Amino acid sequence: MRRLMAWVLFALMVAGPSPAWAYLKLGSSVGGRIVDMTWHQQPIRYFVSDRDGPGVTAAELRGAIGRATATWQAVTTATARFEFQGVTSASPDAIDGRTTIGFLDRPDLDRVLGATSFILDTTTGAIVEADIFFNARFAWSVAPQGETGRVDLESVALHEVGHLLGLSHSAIGETERSGASGRRVTASGSVMFPIAMTAGAIADRVLQADDIAGISDLYPAAGMLDTTGSLTGRVTKGGQGVVGAHVVAFNPETGVLVGNFALNEKGEFVIARLTPGPYVLRAEPLDDADVESFFSAPVDVDFRVGYASTLVVAPRGGSSSPVEIKVRAK
Amino acid sequence: MAVLACAPAAQAQNSEAPALRTHHVTVSGGIMWSGGYSIGDATARLRTNAAGSPPPFTLFTTASAVEAATGVEGRVGFALTSRIAVEAGASYSTPAIGVTISQDAEGASQALDGEHIEQFVLDVGVRWHLPVRPGPRMRLFAGGGAAYLRQLHEARTLVETGQIYYADGGITYWLRGDAGRSRALGLRGEVRANWRRQGIDFENLTRVYPSIAAAMFIGL
Repeated sequence: MRRLMAWVLFALMVAGPSPAWAYLKLGSSVGGRIVDMTWHQQPIRYFVSDRDGPGVTAAELRGAIGRATATWQAVTTATARFEFQGVTSASPDAIDGRTTIGFLDRPDLDRVLGATSFILDTTTGAIVEADIFFNARFAWSVAPQGETGRVDLESVALHEVGHLLGLSHSAIGETERSGASGRRVTASGSVMFPIAMTAGAIADRVLQADDIAGISDLYPAAGMLDTTGSLTGRVTKGGQGVVGAHVVAFNPETGVLVGNFALNEKGEFVIARLTPGPYVLRAEPLDDADVESFFSAPVDVDFRVGYASTLVVAPRGGSSSPVEIKVRAK
Repeated sequence: MAVLACAPAAQAQNSEAPALRTHHVTVSGGIMWSGGYSIGDATARLRTNAAGSPPPFTLFTTASAVEAATGVEGRVGFALTSRIAVEAGASYSTPAIGVTISQDAEGASQALDGEHIEQFVLDVGVRWHLPVRPGPRMRLFAGGGAAYLRQLHEARTLVETGQIYYADGGITYWLRGDAGRSRALGLRGEVRANWRRQGIDFENLTRVYPSIAAAMFIGL
């Protein structure tokens, strides 16, 4: 079995350059095609480091990890399962065949709160090991109501465990410039948004609809394919596809927001695992100017917010007719 | 509405006034117009970045409505007495669901084109022909009933059902025949107030909307 160490910074960041993906799934090239990076064997067995972190004991770390994994496991439309194997003295960056979660001192990553790395079976795309570290450079907290000036460990753990499961970042959120080169999140619609909320905030201990749609897409529960629907279409500008347009589906009946991207030159997008029903589709450019570093193709951010011309229905067990969202240059 | 406004001028009933033929059936067919009504406002919200419980961030808001539509309607009535009839009816229309977008954090307000649905209404009701008539071949009536509502989106990918309760009033004009004599033929116009429960509605509230129908009827 050929393995590849994918030391990817699927990281939750504080106000810094903002990588912005959708509710996207991590992918791996297998035989010339991109397949989802998922765990093929469950439960996902993990170890937790026995090392204390700044403001958090090892026992409190285990508790926070346990709550985060339980939150993902509680999604009834998905089948992700975890099993705690015990504590370990191993570092969370060790390549040892074990999934390890713990603190690591990474002063070089001065804007990274935590990150997840993977070892993949490159013949199948299966994740065989994934490690999560929380950067010991920051002050952490597990206080039930949060603690001013300290980053909530459970919130960041929930985000990183989402990566561990195979989810990438979501772009449902709004940011503003902060300082000379950074950005600050003002609001988000997903735990998988790449920038953390203000130290002391605990709102991201709870998954949002975008996260639930993502995990349900990766690990669908029995019957999910028959009971959910998809929206498909294109984002176009002057008749040409818009690469990198962020598309959000909003259900006016449930208030659910789920996002994805137009990822190819035709501007095509798919938003899957939606509760059947009518949706408003909104396309917007990414907030950040540095998105080119996250897309292999150039990303078009020169357009105004646009909407699909009508409500679009996600049918039960199927997909909508293709929708065209026409946007205009700024 | 003009029909009902005639009521105060109605003449007293006399022996030649047309009336329902007891224990006979009347069928009618015509067109109807159904007024628009809101089906709910909604806000796309994001979590706000702050400690505590800050108010959510509004990405945009939507105001949705079933828009006014015209359709066709057919009815069958059975006269229990010369003044009271029970009726059953069916109507079909294709109203659009319109959405207005506002308060977009980055864009301008706009109205989306309506997305059409198919709407079927099956109703039963009672009609009472009032003892007044605005003209020699006219009778006013009032009534009420209940209906089953079925709304379908394209290819039946979205199906919603509901109920409608209505009160109506209108006028019947006999072109030919009347009670007890030759086969009746005439026109009928009516105005309804409808209370709709369930069906396509983003807030699951009872909605009130008007409708108007005009039909030709024939007595069997």
